[in-house]
Amino acid sequence: MTQSVANGTASLERGANPTIKQKQQAFPLVLLAPCVVFLLVMFVAPLIYVIVLSVTEPRISAENYERIFASPVYLRVLWNTFQTALTVTLVSLTLGYPLAYVIARRSDWLGTCLLAIVVISFWTGFVVRTYAWLIILGNRGPVSNIFHWLGWEPPQLLFTSFSSTVGMVHILLPFMVLALLSVMKKIDALHLRAANSLGAPPFTAFRTVFLPLSLAGVVNGSILVFTFALGFYITPILLGSPRDLMISQLINQQIEEVLNWGFASALSIVLLSATLVTIIVGNKLFGLDRLWG
Amino acid sequence: MTEKDSVLWNRRSVLRHAAGVSAGAITTALLGLDSASAEAGTVYVNSWGGLWTDAEKVSFYEPFTKATGIRVQPVIPLSFAKLKAEVQSRNYQFDVTNLSVSDFLRATKEGLIDPIDWSVIQKDKLFPGAVFRDLGLLGNVGGTALVYRTDKYQDGPKSWADFWDVKKFPGNRAMWREPIRVVVFATLADGVPIDKVYPIDLDRAFRKLDEIKPHIRVWYQEGNQAMQLIRDGEVDMIMLWNSRVPELIKNKIPVDVVWNGAYHANTVWGVAKGAPNAKFGWQFAEFTTYAPGQAEFARLLSYAPSNPESYNMLEPDVAKWLVGYKDNGKHAIWGNPDWEVANIDRLEERFNDWLSK
Repeated sequence: MTQSVANGTASLERGANPTIKQKQQAFPLVLLAPCVVFLLVMFVAPLIYVIVLSVTEPRISAENYERIFASPVYLRVLWNTFQTALTVTLVSLTLGYPLAYVIARRSDWLGTCLLAIVVISFWTGFVVRTYAWLIILGNRGPVSNIFHWLGWEPPQLLFTSFSSTVGMVHILLPFMVLALLSVMKKIDALHLRAANSLGAPPFTAFRTVFLPLSLAGVVNGSILVFTFALGFYITPILLGSPRDLMISQLINQQIEEVLNWGFASALSIVLLSATLVTIIVGNKLFGLDRLWG
Repeated sequence: MTEKDSVLWNRRSVLRHAAGVSAGAITTALLGLDSASAEAGTVYVNSWGGLWTDAEKVSFYEPFTKATGIRVQPVIPLSFAKLKAEVQSRNYQFDVTNLSVSDFLRATKEGLIDPIDWSVIQKDKLFPGAVFRDLGLLGNVGGTALVYRTDKYQDGPKSWADFWDVKKFPGNRAMWREPIRVVVFATLADGVPIDKVYPIDLDRAFRKLDEIKPHIRVWYQEGNQAMQLIRDGEVDMIMLWNSRVPELIKNKIPVDVVWNGAYHANTVWGVAKGAPNAKFGWQFAEFTTYAPGQAEFARLLSYAPSNPESYNMLEPDVAKWLVGYKDNGKHAIWGNPDWEVANIDRLEERFNDWLSK
């Protein structure tokens, strides 16, 4: 009797467990469904359409891809796009890391002020910010005036790769800072205190405790800024030299001006593939996925 | 403005969707709403937005509605790609568009434009030459000219050859990243007479462009950027839309236009293939060719009318900045849409390559 009750309970447990588990597993899936459907409709389907377009317009062939590799311009511009994106990412990281560090570690007026500046800059339209640089670095702008006041001939600042990089960093820096901040805010100050109490000088504590814990933010911020920068073209057009041509501009030209959507699709697919390869290689080299933890 | 645009789009697609389902009380209510607005009639016009649409409102939309009872709803911004998208998807945002003659010709070759509906257009009301190859009706004229600062050059440049002459005319220069006009001007600068420019010898044009490349401070992309360059004295000479010059003069910027060798091209009004309000669309297109509307548009934005009669209605102060005034157009070059359509794709590629080297 006891045995059978025990058996019964056991079988009940065995029987009930899977259904509860199934329910437990099914519930997140139900929650996830709208998001999955959204991604399928808004992202996967158009992506497939773009791939199809790239080999079917104007006719079924690989001619769009052949053309990309036949003319030197596309690969050169693609290469330049990646170089620019990398430069912008590194500069944003160099400037953004200390900034985020101060904001995360100081909860007084300084941290608040800096955060406010970053967020306000984030809210200002990027075209407005780009035009602001046209004035700041221009012939009659403040930078040029300072040089004149010192009695020097101002260097050519505007319409160079320098001004283009400055403009892009200005626009993308808030993304980097906010990505870093979201991770840095979670680092417990006690860890650093513990390191100190164990005899680590402040810099050693930072290097061995804070920095490794913040790397997830570095990776997130860098990938965010890098991918955004790859798609930029208005700022380089307005501020840069013709050599700062970005691949997105060529894609836009093909869509808007030439109406060659097949070729535009092929260019987009090449850009997407190159981006994926870059991130995969980055992952292999630096183990990015481990940092996401 | 974009927000309004998307609201409008949503309303239309909802209505169309509802019409497709065509069952249930809600649908009937929606259809009732739709037919109520259809009685008055609405035509959707693709337009650039901003000052352009404001000027179109005063010159064309409002007088058209007054004359016919048909309402005009602008759809912003003007987009060649949108035309292709709406015809391919049969999901129309606008019925009528106004493209540059080359883009228009390209659109007709891609099958995006319906030929003129002569059952709607009243032929006797059109000015001579208003019809573009039985496909559309002429709009205004957009010109691109050499514009220079008169405070920099007392005895200014007189031709594109002078623009290329950096010894005689030292100073910063800017050009528009628009390959067709750029190769046209290079060809003219190399001494080819206006009537021999087309078909353009591209090798010759790019050799000539190599000469000027180091002296071009900016290759601009946008009208407002160009205005800033010449207004702030960032450059002394610029390839610019001559319709923007009166605005500079009004702001006391010392500039002048070199009419010699200026490039002009018409815009053409047409109706998207299969557009739901095509009939209203052609009525509207015809209305835009009338002289008073075109004159008013020129008064507001300094784009030249295609209807010669409009010049009789214009004050000399306005007219003197337009290509059709006195001798302004005597040494002008007019775009050749056939050559341009046949060559744009490869030219764009070659130009990008040349520019990014």
